Amino acid sequence: MEKVLLDYDWTVMAPEIIIAAAAALLSLADLFLRENTDRRFFSWFSLAAVIAAIFFTVSRFGQQPYEILGDTYRVDDFALAFKTAVLSGVGLVFLLSAWGVRQEEIRFRGEYDYLLLAAALGAMIMTSSADLITLFVGLELLSISSYILAGIHRERYASNEAAWKYVVQGGVASAFILYGMSFVYGLTGSTNLYTIQQRLVEAYQTGYDAFVLLSLFLMLLGFGFKIASAPFHMWVPDVYQGAPTPVTSFLAVVSKTAAFALVLRIVLVGYIFLYQMQIWQQVVEPVLLVLAGLSMVIGNTAALHQTDTKRLLAYSSVAHAGYLLVPLSTLGAVLFESTFYYLIAYLVMTMGAFTVAALLEREAGHGNISGFAGLSRRSPGTAAAMTVFLLSLAGIPVTAGFFGKFYILMNALSTQHFWIAGIMVGTTVISYYYYFGIIRQMYFRPPASKDRMRVPMVPALLLVIGILGTVGLGVVPEWAVHWIGDLQWMSALTPLNAGPPGP
Amino acid sequence: MRCTDIYIHPSLLGQGLMVRISFDGVTGMEYWANYSMTAIFFLLGLALPAAAFTVGRWLRPHHPSAAKIITYESGVDPFGDSRVQFHVRYYLFALLFVIFDVETVFLYPWAVAYDTLRQDVGLFVLVEMLIFVLFLFIGLIYAWKKKVLEWK
Amino acid sequence: MPVTSYLALGAILFSIGLYGVLTKRNAVIVLFSIELMLNAANLNLVAFSKFGLHPSQVGQVFSLFSITVAAAEAAIGIAILFALYRNRGTVEADRMNSLKG
Repeated sequence: MEKVLLDYDWTVMAPEIIIAAAAALLSLADLFLRENTDRRFFSWFSLAAVIAAIFFTVSRFGQQPYEILGDTYRVDDFALAFKTAVLSGVGLVFLLSAWGVRQEEIRFRGEYDYLLLAAALGAMIMTSSADLITLFVGLELLSISSYILAGIHRERYASNEAAWKYVVQGGVASAFILYGMSFVYGLTGSTNLYTIQQRLVEAYQTGYDAFVLLSLFLMLLGFGFKIASAPFHMWVPDVYQGAPTPVTSFLAVVSKTAAFALVLRIVLVGYIFLYQMQIWQQVVEPVLLVLAGLSMVIGNTAALHQTDTKRLLAYSSVAHAGYLLVPLSTLGAVLFESTFYYLIAYLVMTMGAFTVAALLEREAGHGNISGFAGLSRRSPGTAAAMTVFLLSLAGIPVTAGFFGKFYILMNALSTQHFWIAGIMVGTTVISYYYYFGIIRQMYFRPPASKDRMRVPMVPALLLVIGILGTVGLGVVPEWAVHWIGDLQWMSALTPLNAGPPGP
Repeated sequence: MRCTDIYIHPSLLGQGLMVRISFDGVTGMEYWANYSMTAIFFLLGLALPAAAFTVGRWLRPHHPSAAKIITYESGVDPFGDSRVQFHVRYYLFALLFVIFDVETVFLYPWAVAYDTLRQDVGLFVLVEMLIFVLFLFIGLIYAWKKKVLEWK
Repeated sequence: MPVTSYLALGAILFSIGLYGVLTKRNAVIVLFSIELMLNAANLNLVAFSKFGLHPSQVGQVFSLFSITVAAAEAAIGIAILFALYRNRGTVEADRMNSLKG
């Protein structure tokens, strides 16, 4: 018998329902509160909702995978792990916003919070669906909310311009993804990824091989925009620079994680048969590796001559997207593990770096790297924290970033891809130059003013979380590695509903 | 061209004519032959207004005067330039219209399938749509509180 | 095979849209071009739901969703453009160049 709506256990959707309800509640509260009421508590309320959602997500670990309505929503370890990462990122962004987003600067302070919740909801849907329609809607919910968030500083021209560039390039990327999906649908007659998995093989073997590859490459083109890899990275520096700093950190951390979850799910479930047929190694892998190599080279060399902190971090984000593409293209044994570990490491160190950037931006009134000058004398703690984050971003040992890179490098070496490993090591060495440039500013340049810089409670808490995460993951990586290794990653690749595949 | 069924639905005869033509196994020349109907309609559409204007010109008297040759604007004397820029306020209404208009796209299939769904799922199918409408309603409240619905 | 003509039309629309995005200076036309690209994909979906390898209704449902998404995206795009116009007084895309490094 076919299952209908009420036969499903809807409590598994608790995290999504909490976030959606919180967003709806806040949007109503924002409308009915008086205009000059301080809306900062919105961020705290959202943070509470996110923590509740994390609680419900984490409590599902270790249970049997579950699906709702023909895999349009599924809870497997893959989904849970990525959802936890996404929600943790969103939680940290809310913490940063509670301090860093002021009503006197952004008139629509209330809207900021519930748009961020809506974007988080989109990211969550992207991590735990196996249906093209739902995945596309989730992706667009995240993207459209991010477009508005990037431009939420309505009076500031840079913010408008960032939002405009983001909406145009993001729209083109969405169009490419949708166009690719339309071919997938045409070849398989289904939007369910597991039905697609079976029928794409048939289509490939019955003479539609060109269309199968066309659909994959059209989608990859769009995904390239969304994960900020070169040569589709043109929007990244402009949007990162123009958007308000908490939004930038959201784009760097949450959007990237969710986009990788989406890419891994679609590409691995739908197109894994290419690997068994040796086509992946001949056609797809070289293309992906070239993208990865380009991202590393372009990201790291363009970052060399940046003078704006957020712009520098944007190019560094492009470079990191390149590193992250390596496991996906080589499909090594620890593909999921190394990608996920790197994403978590990237999350903690990037959030920390953006917190310091936001602190200095508020202090100096501009986002130039010269704001770092003499930071060690004005606030030794902040300078030390930033040093840790930068060392981790650069991949120096005993930090999270080092082990993440090491993991990915091992993956590349074990699958005999020496040239990409070489590029990885080479560009990492180049990246030392600009990361250490900031450290040099902090320790060896005279400060603009002698006053000590006060670090309020909330950003201080963020810095502590960032340091604990970065150093913790670096010193005792085996804890995280064991935990990640015990997850049933492969459950993401197999359908759950027994019986014949639906339409 | 092979038409398997052409029928006129009896209940629609009073309100207008609905003709359904379905083709199957259309290939090659037949496929292009199907476009002949479109071509005939296109030519008729071009010919009809041309004929009407030409015949009108032959039949009507032609005595122009200054008052007669000014542009007709509902009986009022025309003023201003014809290339007016519309006020941006229209944009808000258009936006509101588009969003709500597109959302109704989801209501139609639901309404059509309502009876079937009702038997399968029960009253929850109504609750489900109410949730959707509730979110739309929040959007309407937003527009109302932001004074988009007022013409200042 | 009829589906070829639909695919060709879709591909032409998609290419016109892409060309428009890449070359046009007027921001409103850029938004139109994105709409063209999205609608090319919709056309594909609807054509495939009748003439695809496995014809089914899902394609039409997908196109309904993507139409909604496209409407939302266009609305946001125009709203952002409006904010830009207020601050700078132009809708020419190549004059938006304050961010560089």
